[in-house]
Amino acid sequence: MEVFQALQRLHMIIFSQNVSPCGKFLAAGNNYGQIAIFSLSAALSSEAKEESKKPMVTFQAHDGPVYSMVSTDRHLLSAGDGEVKAWLWAEILKKGCKELWRRQPPYRTSLEVPEINALLLVPKENSLILAGGDCQLHTMDLETGTFTRALWGHTDYIHCLALRERSPEVLSGGEDGAVRLWDLRTAKEVQTIEVYKHEECSRPHNGRWIGCLATDSDWMVCGGGPALTLWHLRSSTPTTIFPMRAPQKHVTFYQDLILSAGQGRCVNQWQLSGELKAQVPGSSPGLLSLSLNQQPAAPECKVGSARGSGDPGRPGCVDRSVTTLLPLGPDSRRQQLQGGCLYQSGLPSFLPVLLTSSNTPTSISGV
Amino acid sequence: MSSESSKKRKPKVIRSDGAPAEGKRNRSDTEQEGKYYSEEAEVDLRDPGRDYELYKYTCQELQRLMAEIQDLKSRGGKDAAVEIEDRRIQSCVHFMTLKKLNRLAHIRLKKGRDQTHEAKQKVDAYHLQLQNLLYEVMHLQKEITKCLEFKSKHEEIDLVSLEEFYKEAPPDISKAEVTMGDPHQQTLARLDWELEQRKRLAEKYRECLSNKEKILKEIEVKKEYLSSLQPRLNSIMQASLPVQEYLFMPFDQAHKQYETARHLPPPLYVLFVQTTAYGQACAHMKSSQPPRQDKTLSVAIEGSVDEAKALFKPPEDSQDDESDSDAEEEQTTKRRRPTLGVQLDDKRKEMLKRHPLSVMLDLKCKDDSVLHLTFYYLMNLNIMTVKAKVTTATELITPISAGDLLSPDSVLSCLYPGDHGKKTPNPANQYQFDKVGILTLRDYVLDLGHPYLWVQKLGGLHFPKEQPQHTVIADHSLSASHMETTMKLLKTRVQSRLALHKQFASLEHGIVPVTSDCQYLFPAKVVSRLVKWVTIAHEDYTELHFTKDIVEAGLAGDTNLYYMALVERGTAKLQAAVVLNPGYSSIPPIFQLCLNWKGEKTNNNDDNIRAMESEVNVCYKELCGPQPSHQLLTNQLQRLCVLLDVYLETESHDDSVEGPKEFPQEKMCLRLFRGPSRMKPFKYNHPQGFFSHR
Repeated sequence: MEVFQALQRLHMIIFSQNVSPCGKFLAAGNNYGQIAIFSLSAALSSEAKEESKKPMVTFQAHDGPVYSMVSTDRHLLSAGDGEVKAWLWAEILKKGCKELWRRQPPYRTSLEVPEINALLLVPKENSLILAGGDCQLHTMDLETGTFTRALWGHTDYIHCLALRERSPEVLSGGEDGAVRLWDLRTAKEVQTIEVYKHEECSRPHNGRWIGCLATDSDWMVCGGGPALTLWHLRSSTPTTIFPMRAPQKHVTFYQDLILSAGQGRCVNQWQLSGELKAQVPGSSPGLLSLSLNQQPAAPECKVGSARGSGDPGRPGCVDRSVTTLLPLGPDSRRQQLQGGCLYQSGLPSFLPVLLTSSNTPTSISGV
Repeated sequence: MSSESSKKRKPKVIRSDGAPAEGKRNRSDTEQEGKYYSEEAEVDLRDPGRDYELYKYTCQELQRLMAEIQDLKSRGGKDAAVEIEDRRIQSCVHFMTLKKLNRLAHIRLKKGRDQTHEAKQKVDAYHLQLQNLLYEVMHLQKEITKCLEFKSKHEEIDLVSLEEFYKEAPPDISKAEVTMGDPHQQTLARLDWELEQRKRLAEKYRECLSNKEKILKEIEVKKEYLSSLQPRLNSIMQASLPVQEYLFMPFDQAHKQYETARHLPPPLYVLFVQTTAYGQACAHMKSSQPPRQDKTLSVAIEGSVDEAKALFKPPEDSQDDESDSDAEEEQTTKRRRPTLGVQLDDKRKEMLKRHPLSVMLDLKCKDDSVLHLTFYYLMNLNIMTVKAKVTTATELITPISAGDLLSPDSVLSCLYPGDHGKKTPNPANQYQFDKVGILTLRDYVLDLGHPYLWVQKLGGLHFPKEQPQHTVIADHSLSASHMETTMKLLKTRVQSRLALHKQFASLEHGIVPVTSDCQYLFPAKVVSRLVKWVTIAHEDYTELHFTKDIVEAGLAGDTNLYYMALVERGTAKLQAAVVLNPGYSSIPPIFQLCLNWKGEKTNNNDDNIRAMESEVNVCYKELCGPQPSHQLLTNQLQRLCVLLDVYLETESHDDSVEGPKEFPQEKMCLRLFRGPSRMKPFKYNHPQGFFSHR
């Protein structure tokens, strides 16, 4: 069944990724429900071989796609097909992969089990927020494993979550085109921004959906069907509209920059003023997620931008140096990390970001 | 002075001194006298030592007297003359003594000589005697060694061992009490025993000879009887023919075939035997009736037996035949030797020559279509080839796109994975090709048939992978072990090809021929239509812009068949490039899509197109339908139509555009989008009829 395996690899999509607490390992989840662990230190070291760029462990985690993953100090939490599962990092690295526990939020009965699109850790109250197909935000107490509350409000499924660090507030963005701000203390909806209703950023041919969301104090950036837009939360006004035609699937603040990725082969770096600072090309036709590796413990693997398939990146198309490769695929396709642009911006080291992506038919191998 | 006195007593003293002549006479006198005096006897009495003393004394006296005389003369005194005279007398006396002594010395010398001579003669005699004795000793020693080296004839005779001898020989020969201690006697006894035994054996030999003679005579008699039986049996056979025909028992025919089979080359013979056996076994399994004409597997031998006889050398063939044909061959080759090119061409032909006999195998499938396989044996290459032909019960209208499906060239390609039948399986052939300038067998395959690996295995030929080996012997067990699987694969291949053939016929007319037992896989209403189904070349496929992934993944080899399908609904046109593996349907066809609707969408820029591809390519197992899943291609195409429907109907409506949606949503969907990649609900749930996400 060589043909079948080749086809399966070709049609693989990486939905989610997470860096281990120590910063040396990367977990990636694909559409077949497998999670693969890569050793960043091995793959990014100067003497990395093709072999060290392949997964060190691969295991079947879910029946459906693994849409989201987060890490606590000791655990890796993964979710996708309606359930959240916990794995011990220590055990995963020892290659004994047995789930620690699994929980399912209380769903209303439905013909199909709603998926979980986003996981969010709230460190202050040691809880986990899950959101996805049933249009609610479920809060789970990590201490007891019980679901403490559910927040209603979205009219369609939820794509993404973001936590406001200072006040215990959570932002959620969904298919219905609205970004809602929730107060965790009162469990009430505080604010709603219906992005598609603002003419500046509305793009009806792409749809209303909000695919990505990030926040930094009073500022929020979101994108998806509507254009990628920087919002001032208190006044609920769009301040900057980033000139990017393709729908964006992931966005994040990084120092005074905004990083975004989505349809198209590039990771974009924006100034807050809306100026495109740099584009780092990759090999995958589309990116679904970016991940930051901010662990100071592992300076040698501070950068990562994992790309999918297609042609393995064209270093020639940018006049900046390609610094790192992180190949996820078993067929030794390379995922290129480019950090050269950030050298120019005066960063002391590599971009402390692990940009990873999706849509990569070749990123995780079959077992 | 005493000696002097004794001398004086000698008779000599009496003789008077005179002239030398006198002296001589005197001597002869003394000799005469000697007889009387016997001076010789005197010699014996005298002591030589004393004579010597005397001689010395006499000489001294003489010297003294001479000196005195000289002294006196020189003084010249008066009385000197007297004194001189006196002294002269004394001197004379002394001279006499000297003379005597001289004689004695001579006698002594003579005596000594005689004695020496005598002694010497004695020694010589002894020496001679010694020589004789030594010679005699040597001779005797030679005789002794000769005797010691003497070899007796009996040593060459292989005697029975000692224990055996004492155990078996009768006591009157062995005489144990005598021979035990005496090896000589023992050997003699053993020799006796040997002689005895040999005599007995000779007797036995004579008996056996006579026995043999007798048996030969008996055989002769029986042979005569048997040969007289043959015509009778023949007549019985002749008489029974109508009965055989009447009862459908083609024993005679089979017999004839077996007769012909004897002239087959070993690989074809193995194939013939094994296929016949397999065919009979199958027929037996299917029905308890005896094998009949309508069995699914029939084997026949074709070609001229006489040619085979001339070529192939059966053991009973006479040597003449062969040399004759050789001579003929030589003549013909001589005649055609004008140019090098022709000669090389000739050599090539000779090398690729196949055996005049071939085995025909007809494999009948359930639907009465027949796969005709003709197996050939290339004598000089030691490989087997096969030509295939498919005939169907009903005449087929051949669709254009199905051209390659049943062509003899490709119908059996890749029966086992990777077995293209274009290369020679015998590694030794490459060297032979090099000699006559054949680059590859590929150019001759159409003419000769395909040397598939499974054909070699059916013929019991097994070739090592690495080094050439010249002694490959046809092996029955190898053939038998591959027979069943290969036959099954052949049947499946023919059936799947025929099924594809049928499907293509409809597909070309834009009909997706979904069978009733696969209907449950699809919703009742499918709006998208297949409008085109054409075959394309491999190169064209690789040049398409949306097939890059498949080509790069190495899934587009040149043994596959390539097609292009076009599915339409309204203004939307979906192109599908299809790779059909020869191993269909165990290896699924692979689809690559390109949608032309509001711009061009491929898996590169649209996640949902990618999802549609994985629906047909990866999730093909649910589309297989009932075994043996020949309907897979049709179902995949129908599924593609359904997917296009879903894709178009769930496309979010752009509010800014005036007018109704082009594709109103008719399909029942639980949700339109799901997950971060906003997948559309492509999965169809059968009894309820709604669409959901996978």
